[in-house]
Formats: sequence, structure tokens, C-alpha cells
Amino acid sequence: MKRISVDIGGTFTDCFVAWDGRYIQAKALTTHHNLSQGFNEALDHACTTLNLGRDDVLREVDSVRYATTLGTNALIERRGPQVGLIVTAGFEATIPLSRGRGYGEGLDELARNDMSSGTRPEPLVPQTLIRSVAERVDYSGTVLMELGRDDVRQALRELIDAGAEALVVCLTNAIENPAHELRVQEVFLSEYPAHQLGAVPMLLSHQLSGRKGEYVRATSAIVDGFLHATMYYALSELEQNLREHGYPRPMLIIHNSGGMAQLNSTDALQTIHSGPVAGISASEHLAGQASLGNVVATDMGGTSFDIGLVPADGVKHYDFMPVIDRWLVSVPMIHLVTLGAGGGSIASYDRLHQSVKVGPRSAGSDPGPACYDRGGLLPTVTDADLLLGYLTPERYAGGQIKLNRARAEFAVDEEFGDHLDLDPVEVARLIKAEVDEQMANGMAKELRIRGYLPEEFTMLAYGGNGPLHCCGIAAHLGMDKILAPPYSSVFSALGAGNMPQLHIHERSVPLILFDATSRAMFTDFGRFNAIVAELEAKGRADLERQGLPAAAVRHRLELDMRYGNQLVTMAVVARRTRLESIRDVVDLMQVFSEDYGRRFGEGSQSPEAGIRVTALRVASYVQGETIEFDASPPDGRTTAAHPAGSRRCFFPGTEGPVETAVFDESALEPGLAVHGPAVVTTPTTTYLVQPGWRIETGAHGAIWFLANSPEQEDRR
Amino acid sequence: MSDAAAAQFTPEEQEWVDAFLAGTTLFLGPDPEIMNNHRMAPRTADEDRLLSGPVDANDLDRVRKRIVAGLDEAFEMMEQTGAAPGAKWGDLTSAVYSASGDLIHISTGGVLAFASVLHYPVRFINKYWTGDPSVGVHDGDAFIHNDARYGNIHNTDQSMIVPVFYDGELIAWVATIIHEGENGAKEPGGMPSSSESAYDDGIRMSPFKIVERGVIRRDVLTFLQNSVREPKLQYQDLKVKLYSALRIKERVLALVEEVGRDAFIVSLRKSLEDIEAEARRRISALADGTYRVNFFSDSTLRENVLLKYPCAITVKGDELTVDWRGAAPQIMNRAFNSTLGSSKCGMNQAFLGFFWPDLPRGISVMNPIEVLADEGSCVNPGNDAPLGQSLQGIFKTFGVTQALFAKMQYSCPEKYGSVIAPWFNQINTFLFGGVTQHGEFVGNVCADLNGMGGGARAHRDGEHSMAPFFAAMADIGEQEIIEDDVPFLQLISKKIKRDAQGFGKHRGGMGYEIAVAARGTPLWGFATVSSGSKFPAIPGLFGGYGCPTYPLAKIKGVNAFEQMKDAPETWSFDYETLMNSRPFAGARYSTHHMGMGFELAEEGEVYMICQGAGGGYGDVLERDPEAVMAEVEAGYLTSEAAREIYFVVHDPATLAVDTTGTEAARAAERQARLRRGRPYTEFVKLWVTPEPPAHLPYYGSWGDDNGIIHATAWTTHGPVRVAAPANQLPQIFLPDPNVIALATKQARIAELETRVNELEGGMSRLLEGS
Repeated sequence: MKRISVDIGGTFTDCFVAWDGRYIQAKALTTHHNLSQGFNEALDHACTTLNLGRDDVLREVDSVRYATTLGTNALIERRGPQVGLIVTAGFEATIPLSRGRGYGEGLDELARNDMSSGTRPEPLVPQTLIRSVAERVDYSGTVLMELGRDDVRQALRELIDAGAEALVVCLTNAIENPAHELRVQEVFLSEYPAHQLGAVPMLLSHQLSGRKGEYVRATSAIVDGFLHATMYYALSELEQNLREHGYPRPMLIIHNSGGMAQLNSTDALQTIHSGPVAGISASEHLAGQASLGNVVATDMGGTSFDIGLVPADGVKHYDFMPVIDRWLVSVPMIHLVTLGAGGGSIASYDRLHQSVKVGPRSAGSDPGPACYDRGGLLPTVTDADLLLGYLTPERYAGGQIKLNRARAEFAVDEEFGDHLDLDPVEVARLIKAEVDEQMANGMAKELRIRGYLPEEFTMLAYGGNGPLHCCGIAAHLGMDKILAPPYSSVFSALGAGNMPQLHIHERSVPLILFDATSRAMFTDFGRFNAIVAELEAKGRADLERQGLPAAAVRHRLELDMRYGNQLVTMAVVARRTRLESIRDVVDLMQVFSEDYGRRFGEGSQSPEAGIRVTALRVASYVQGETIEFDASPPDGRTTAAHPAGSRRCFFPGTEGPVETAVFDESALEPGLAVHGPAVVTTPTTTYLVQPGWRIETGAHGAIWFLANSPEQEDRR
Repeated sequence: MSDAAAAQFTPEEQEWVDAFLAGTTLFLGPDPEIMNNHRMAPRTADEDRLLSGPVDANDLDRVRKRIVAGLDEAFEMMEQTGAAPGAKWGDLTSAVYSASGDLIHISTGGVLAFASVLHYPVRFINKYWTGDPSVGVHDGDAFIHNDARYGNIHNTDQSMIVPVFYDGELIAWVATIIHEGENGAKEPGGMPSSSESAYDDGIRMSPFKIVERGVIRRDVLTFLQNSVREPKLQYQDLKVKLYSALRIKERVLALVEEVGRDAFIVSLRKSLEDIEAEARRRISALADGTYRVNFFSDSTLRENVLLKYPCAITVKGDELTVDWRGAAPQIMNRAFNSTLGSSKCGMNQAFLGFFWPDLPRGISVMNPIEVLADEGSCVNPGNDAPLGQSLQGIFKTFGVTQALFAKMQYSCPEKYGSVIAPWFNQINTFLFGGVTQHGEFVGNVCADLNGMGGGARAHRDGEHSMAPFFAAMADIGEQEIIEDDVPFLQLISKKIKRDAQGFGKHRGGMGYEIAVAARGTPLWGFATVSSGSKFPAIPGLFGGYGCPTYPLAKIKGVNAFEQMKDAPETWSFDYETLMNSRPFAGARYSTHHMGMGFELAEEGEVYMICQGAGGGYGDVLERDPEAVMAEVEAGYLTSEAAREIYFVVHDPATLAVDTTGTEAARAAERQARLRRGRPYTEFVKLWVTPEPPAHLPYYGSWGDDNGIIHATAWTTHGPVRVAAPANQLPQIFLPDPNVIALATKQARIAELETRVNELEGGMSRLLEGS
């Protein structure tokens, strides 16, 4: 198999090339003005390793896949057209009011709780670019008030005159009956034909989201409309670059749903956070190949710490209403949680509890930690790591950043000196303990709320700071196994190389499986099956449009279910995609009951209050060939690696300094083991092996952190 | 028993008497010893012993964070699984207490006012049920409770309280609580504005055992279900609360297992003491002195009256005294009374939600605070007063505290939140009840109550319809999803109410119009439960305007859906236009105060209200003219308001500001103000009267003397003004407004009959004469 997959991040463009069993990773700086340049440079590095020309490689690969943060950046920088919005009359302030809570979406808990300072972000669509049309459709799709064409013309004219460069239409209950949204489009196209120069794009909300919720659906369409042009031009440029260098096929874009599609089958909204989602996908792939069981994927970088869940039961954890930048939207996105800010998190004195606090503020990458010597004055996690002896000042980030220990000491002393009767190293130890436990608490909550036990999970640690803190975090969670995966520095790119072409279609459909009032069971199997068939047909059509054979298409049916009048629903993967008898209904309710009981406690189920389905979702996909490699754990028959030296390090829970062996990357050869306490420094990261742990190297450079058993500890 | 009688007993006799009395208590009602104490308990001997040894603050802090993580997990669980609308918008919390019943932590999200009230029922259980052989407290038990007289914000909130035993020792309590809504009250939805006695308030659960050694008592559950309109909700959320509380218990026990019993107990106690110390430090930073404000409410929710809510906060060193003496008296057949515990919730919300939003939420933040209130006042009523709409009192005790704190903190260099004008503080929303399109009987409240406008800040405008002041990140919801479950539509759902603004240099956040109409239901009705239709609910700050007044408007005798279908040109998605143009022939158009008792609505009859605005900050003449015109362009202000309120001279067609003209208009207005102004003594002479106007149904102190309460009492001869110290006032009962309306009509009929008789007599005489 020959394949290129790429993750275009804010700083680096990561590239992973699979070439008939050889796997090459490469990086280049992202060139924001023209993404092709960074891509070409990264690919060229890989081609050098393969001893082939760029065009030769591009001609032969089966696919080129992209994950990109382009959309996220465009949102943060507010780069996009003026979007105009048409809504149902009486709903003019739905978007400006943002369900009330919009002031706090995307912020930390402290900022959310300070209502006196709460302020909504600058809107993507201001009130002056919102127009309403007189019409009304009810919850069942019945038209209560017909939409008049003249009213539409008037609204369109006003928006165009006001300078709208893209239009979004979101009419109430349009997913039940889209006739009025389609009528707006019809009038629009007759007045402003698409073939004319300066044609303005129009997005209809029901075509972007099949879920009820006029605010989130409109926001989704607005974000999509805002990003559309920026992403279209940037990605088209990339595709053009590929064509010019001999790649004949359409490139594939990674989606945040965990799948991918061609550019012509991709909404801008689906690309947001596609890089981190690709990382989770890589974790899933790895977990399957190495039979790891439950996996929690962690990506701890310099400015963020994200986690994702890959349980062995195959349940896909989605966010159906994720927050993108500061906006609540409606798109099924693989569940991602940002728990903190990584190495840049600022440590401060907590006067209230006379203790050390870490975050939520971050020094980010500019100015960054104090020890970067770039003007940062506040102590961070990275400063603490340096003071504890974990980081090699002259080899940090491959030697690109020379760390200044004196700056780190000064910053810690300035913040804590007057409050804690401790030297900076002791404070650093508290910072390390605090950040590890904080991350562990966050992970534990994420797992437990979904009914999982943290100690039954393996942690995958990637990102620059992952291998440095993973032992500390895992120890708090009772985990005894951590995998720093192969190709971890381009892990998201690796994930992109394994994703299926996939489309998700969903529809809000209130179905009552068990009616608590009448005590009747659901029997309208025809209606249920027809909706599923319709969703499958949409997914199949999407995939066929991209040249995939209909016979290869597979479908996964998920149902959002609830007891009684609960608002939040639980996604249940159906064992069958059609209902044929009451036995299938009972089976469905049983699956829901089992999942619910596992998650919230056996006995917490309330079927007596009724059982409802609120939405049906079909994931249609074609599973292509995946990148195979041996990721199985080492067999334990290892020999001890030779240290390059030693130095004094400090560890939470251990008195005084500990003479700690220091290794270089040669210690990470397969078959070698490094026993903690130890530090292994490589150009891309630092592996901290805490006392009671060891690392062993598997195939492809997979690094396994393994907690020693009591017997092993005794033997040592 | 009198002191003289008691003195006749020997100590031995006294013991017999005490034993007899203890064994023959008729009713374990709310215990004043518990209910009047908002402070944390003193250290136990065990806590004292543990804290006298070396303590590692960082280790204890990590224990604290683990506890809070467990509470947040349970909170999220409730949000995900709760069935009550309140659970869906975050009107809930989870809590952990010491064994003695001090509330230590609540979840990070949710309604933080619970932090100041949830300890009362736990103390009641500790005091009365632990040693009672007929009840007892055992591992696996759980207690339910809702009655505010035993400690709660109001009776729609139901809590589940679970003891935590470790090695046979009670080491903590945990609890979960949700605003459930329906509670079997006189009106659906749990907050009856027409409640005329405590027995109209719905089911009143003193703390009692609902789960015995791990098993839900089905007989008791059935009784509860039988007492409310939504047995399904009662059942479902009872389980939600129970399993969430069990989740906290599980986390606590795992933590204790890991860190040890002593570390856990020390962490709890130290958290309390740390928070108190920090609260004292922050109070010390405020300038000593007494700060005063008066708020008024214009409604009992049955009729328009004027109720006074005075507040004086005295800062002295590291302590605060909050003085509500002089407040309106309790009215024994009106629902707006709020228990002292509930009233303190409002105050605590201002402290923890607005001034110190970074402080952890626990009981001890109230330790440095003394609260003074007249017994028998509406903020400290007796046990027989109805409490169905106790939110009215809570909202005012929040409002007065917030208004004063803005002044107290303005010159204090250390601020933890913004200096802010009063937040809108009424739940301008619809309560509803009836049979849904799915055939279920429901009763609850619309999430629009979460759309209160934020106050203007010293540095910028307030946010439009942002959140209720009592719950950060609450949600006004999605209308499409709501319509799936209930048989009424919002025909106007989210539309900023033009010109309804707390004007100022920085304006308050505005509210939005709502118009509802029922459709496809055999039985449906609405209620509203707000004041502020005649007198603004909140004032502005430092010269800013208060919020406008908001009426309820109805269009009855018409089916709006038929009009929209058959004569769409008659319908308007605009409250103002509908009421002014009266487009439907034969329909009845009316406006009312916002205390509408539950009223049945025919299909298509329209009810319209507005969500309220936050207070403005500073002088309107200092507002940036461009900011004014931006709001005209957005449709939030009329050109007239821009000109007449803000004195912005502009071209109404282009909205271009005439800068010179505006400066001149503002200078002229400043001169006009000087001309209108009076020296203070002259103003006092003109304005101040010895007592309230005789025609005004007035309740509360008058002027600076909070020792005398004025009240309009009703006798068989009609209204009579009385004035006396609070403890000497007669019990105030008000007549049913419908009875008065009927009597007025009967009097009018009699008058007309007399007139007719006279005319007929005259006619007869004329005819006879002819």
C-alpha cells in the first residue's frame, strides 16, 4: 500500500507516508499563506528518505488525506465573509441571544461563573444582518402560516444591500418540513442566479443538520457559511498543487466525525478539530491491532491537553452539540475533551487554601514558560519540570530552545517565595503533583461519567509533553500501562491514513418505544425502517458520488434514546438495522437498559416513565485498506539500556533528590528496557520514567511504560 | 411553662418534666434553633484534635479537589438524566457535608444559592431522626425533602440526602437536589402565585426516609406520586437524584479508603475555615460604614400593592451586618413570603455569584455575616404563611445586596467581579399545565425564565437576556425541542423588545418578547408569577435608569392559528403592533399585572410578555452617540428614544449622528436639569410626608424609621391603614381580588338599578302627570 496522510497544524505540517511496508514520518513548518509549500516541504523530506522524487511518489499513492486546523484558525482570527441570516419572524434574536449561555461557551468554569463580567463574543452575524420572514411550521411539520414570496424577496434584497456575502436560512422546524427553506432558495436563485459573477452562496439549515434546535442548527450553518470560502480556496489550492505534481485523484479531507470524504462532499464545519480526531482514530486503530482493550488517548502539548475515549466495547462517543471556538453547533463530532493547557499552564499560589494551583491561565507559546527566556515571568509546568531535573536544558525541542534554569527558579520564587516556606525545587514538586492529579481527576470524571473504570484503561500518550507526565497521571488513575505510540510526533497524520470514507446522516424522529401513559409498545416498524432506509440511501449516495461501489458500503445504525422526558439522550448502537417484530423492539430497549445501567448505575433505569427514541443516525462507510504494523507489546525479554549519564531529579512522593539515570534516544531500541527513575531525552520529547515504572520498546518505536508489580519491585 | 412555674421544680423533678415533654412532642416542626442559624457548627473535639496536629495544606487541597470532582460528576449525571425542565437548564446541585451537617462543597456548576440553605434539613435529620428508633439513620438509607420551612430555596426543589458511613461511623452526608417544578400545589408548576395558605403550596415534605437500607420505599414513593400532577416525573427524578447521590457516596468512600478517614475529615473542616478566613479578609478590605438602599415590589401577585424591602449593610472590620428590618409584613394569604433561610439564599447569591465568584461555595462564607430581620415580616414569616412564590422575597434580598455591594466595592481596589448595576430579577416567563399532544398531564415552567437581562457594568453595556442571576450558564433552550413535548407554540419567541432598556452611559442588557398560544390540546392553561408591571423591579446604578415595567397582555376570543392560516395579513409577529392595531374583529384585548393565576386558554388565544432588562449605569448624556445609533440600526431602539432619552441628534433616514447638534442638545438638557433641580432641604420639604399616601396599599416602614411598619389591613369595613412595630401589627389578610371585583360590579349594578328605578319612577310620574 502506498499512501500519504497529512495533518496541517498551527505550527507544523506533519506527514506520514506508507510505502509498501515502509513508514516514513516527516515535518515542516506550516506555511499559512500557502499551505502547499509546507506540505511539499514535508513530503520532500519523506521522499528523500525513500530516495524518490515528489512527483513519483504522488503518482503512485492510492490516496492523499488531509486533516487541517485551517477552519479553527479562520474562526479564531474571524477571517470570513459577512454572513446574512434569514429566520422565521419572531425568532430574530435567537442568534444574538445564543440561548443565554453563549457568553460562556468555550470558556473555563471560573469565567463562566463570573456573570458580572460575562460578555458574549463578537457575533459572526450581527443583528443588522438578520432578517425575518413571516411563516410558521409546527413540531410535526404542519404548515401553520404559508411563506409569501414577496416577503422573501424583500428580506433578500435588504440583506444583499446590507452587504451580505453569504446567506444562511434557518426556519423553524425546517427539518420536519423543509418546504419553506426550499422556497427561499427557489426565490433566491430566480432573483440572484448562481451562474452570475458575484453570486452569493446560500446555505439551508436542514441540509446541514437533521437535528431539532433552531439555534444550534442556525449556528452550524453560519459557521459553515463563514468558513466556506476560506476553506474552499485553501483546500482547492492544495488539490491543485497535487494535480500539478502528478496525483490524479481527488484528495480526501478528514472529518471530525471520524471519517473522511472528498472535497466535494465535505462541509467546512466537518473539518474543525479534524487533526485531534485523527489522533483518536489512530488510537482506535492501534488499540485494535495491539489488542489493547480500553484506551484513553491523551495529547499533551505545550498549550493544550486533549483526551478522547476508545473503549473496547466499540461504542463511539460523540458530541452532538460541540462547542467550536465560542459557538455551540450541531454536528456529530468524535468526543474530545480539553482538560488543561499542558506544559504552558501557569502555576500560582492559592491564597485561599494555602496551596499550589495550576491553570487555567496559560503562558501559551508566546512568551511561553519563564525558562524559555522569551519574556515569560510566570512559573509554568515546564519550569517545574526543568527544576525537578527532568529536562535537559540544551536538548529541549531538539536543541531549538535553550532552557534557562535561573529564570525558572526566579519565577517560582517570585510567585511562591512569600507564601510557602519551601525552596523552588520543593514548590516544583508540588506543581508536578498538582498538574498530574488535576489531569487524572479530569480523565477519571470523563471515564466514570460514561460508566468506565479508569484502571481498566491503557493510556496512549502522545504530544510533546505526554511522555513526561504520563506516569504521574496514570499512577493517580490506577493504570499500569501506558503506550507512547509509534510515530507519536505525527500521530494525527498516522490516524488520517487509517480512516474510512464515512458519512453520517441523522434525523430527529420522536418515536415512542414504550408509552408510559397508554402502556403501548411501538409497532410502526414500517415507519422506522423507512427512515433508516432513507438515511442509508443518503450515505450510500454520498459514497457512490465519490466513486465507491455501492456493494462495499456498510451502515451502522445508532439511536438516541431516553427515558420519559429526559432532555439528554444516550446513543445506542443497534444490533439490527431494521425492526421486524416486537422482539426487536424489546431487544432495543434491552440494549439501552444495559448501556444506561453500566453508565449511571444498575437500577437507575426508569422504563416505567416510558422509552423514547429522539433521533436516528446512520453512519455509512467503506472501510478501505489500513496501515498494518506490529504494535503488540514487547514480550518482556529485554536487556537494560546503558545510560548516557545521571543527574539528581526530584519526584513527588519521594524524599530528597534521587540520582536518576539519563539516557539518549539509543535507549529506545527494540529489546531494551529502561528502569525508573530515569529520563530519556530525544530530539522530539522527554520520557520520564518515574520510580516504580519501566519502559520497554516495541516494534516501530512504540514505547511502553509499564508499572512494576510488587514482585518486580521487590526484585529490584 | 413560665419561669415561675419552672422554678418550683427540683432538679430531679425538672428531669422528669423534661423527659415527659421530650416524649410527648406533638409535631416536629421546623426547629428555630436550626433554622435561625446560618453559620457553620463549631469544631468537634475530633476535628479540633486532628487540626491541632501538622497539616499539609497541599495534600488537603488535593483531597478537596477530589471531592469536588465527585460532585461535578454527579452534577453532570443529573443534568444528563434529569427529566424536570429545571434539570435541563442547570437548576440543580450536588453537595457534601460534614457529619454534623455543615455544607462544605457544592458542585462547580448549578444554582449556588443552594449552598446557603441545604444544611438545615441535614441538621434536622441529625437532631431528630438519628436517635429515633422509628426512623434512625443507617448505611443505605436516603432522605427526601422539599419544604422550605425546614430549609430550602422553595418547595419546587426536591433533595435526596444520603448518609455516608465508614467503618460504621457516620463521616459525612451527601445530597443532590433538582428544581422539579410540579409539586401538587394549587396551580401546576410548583410556584403558585394564587396560594392563599401554606396548604396551597403543594406537597410539603419535611425530611423523611424514602430509601431504607438500599431499597426505595414503594409505599412512600406511591404516596408522593399520588400527591402531584406528574407521577412520572416524581418517580423518574427521584431515581436520578438517588443514583447521583450514590455516585458521590461511592467517590467519597473510595477517597476515604485512599487517603484515610482523618485526612478526609480534616480536609472538610479546613475548607470551611479557609473560606471563612478569606471572606473575612475580603470584608476587611471594604471601607467601614453603613450602606443603605430601598427596593419596592408592586405586587403580591394577586393585586398591585407597594411592598418595601429596605436593606442596610454595615461593614465593621471583618464582619458585615445585613439589616432587613422595616420590610413589608407577611401577608397571611399571599404567596410572596419567603422564609428567613430562603431570604438568605438571595443574599448569598449576590455574594457568591457576583462579588466573589471565585470563592468555593460553602456554608462558612456566611460566618462573618449577621442578618437582622423582623419576625413576621415577608422575609422572615411565621410557619403558617404561604410560600408558593417565595422567589419574590429571594429576588429582592438578592437585589438589595447586589445594589449595595456595587457601591461598597467601587472604591475598593481589590475586586473579584465587575462593578455592575442590578441584574433583572423577575422570572418573566409562563408557567403551564394541562394535557400534552402525547396525552400526558404536565405542569411546569418555560425556560425563558433564564433570559434575564444583565446589569450594565462600569466598563461596558450589560448583556441582553443572558442568564438568571441565580444560575450561570443556564439555558433558554431551543423552541423546536420544547414544542416536541408541549402543546403550545411561541409565536414570538426571541425578539428584543424595542426601547425596553435600562438606559445609561452603559445600558443594561435588554429582554425579549414572548407570545404563546396553545394548540392541539384538550386542556391547557398558563400562569405568570412576576411583579414589576407598575413599579420597576430593579433600579439603575449611579444615574442609570432602572428596568422598564412589564405588563401581561392577552388577546382572547380569537384563534390566532386560524388567523395566520386564513388571513395572514392580520397577524403580526410583534407584541406592540398586535396590541395597538387590534387586528382581529371580535377579539378581547387586555393588559394585566404579571401575577396571573393559572388560567385556562382556548386554542389560539394569545398571551404576551417580555423578559426584563438589566439596570443602566451612569448618565444617559454620557453614552457614546454611535453606540446609541447602532442600536437604532439593530432595531433595539427607536429614533425617538435616541433623541428623547439619549439626546442624540441624528438623521432618521441615514442614522448619521449630528455631532454638534448632539453636543448642543446634551448641553441644553444639562442646563434644564439644573433648572429643574432643587436644593436638598427644599426637595425634602416638598417631597417627604409623614406617612404613605392614604390611597396607596402600602406595606413596610416609611422613611428612615424602620421600627414602625405601615400596612393596609382589611376589615369588614374595607381597607384601614395601621402602623406599629412589627411584632404588634395585626395579622394581614387581603380579600380575594375576584371578590372585590364582584363586589365592585354588584355595587355598580345596584347603583344602576337605583338609577333605573329613579328613571322608571320619574317616567311613571311623568306618565301619571300627563
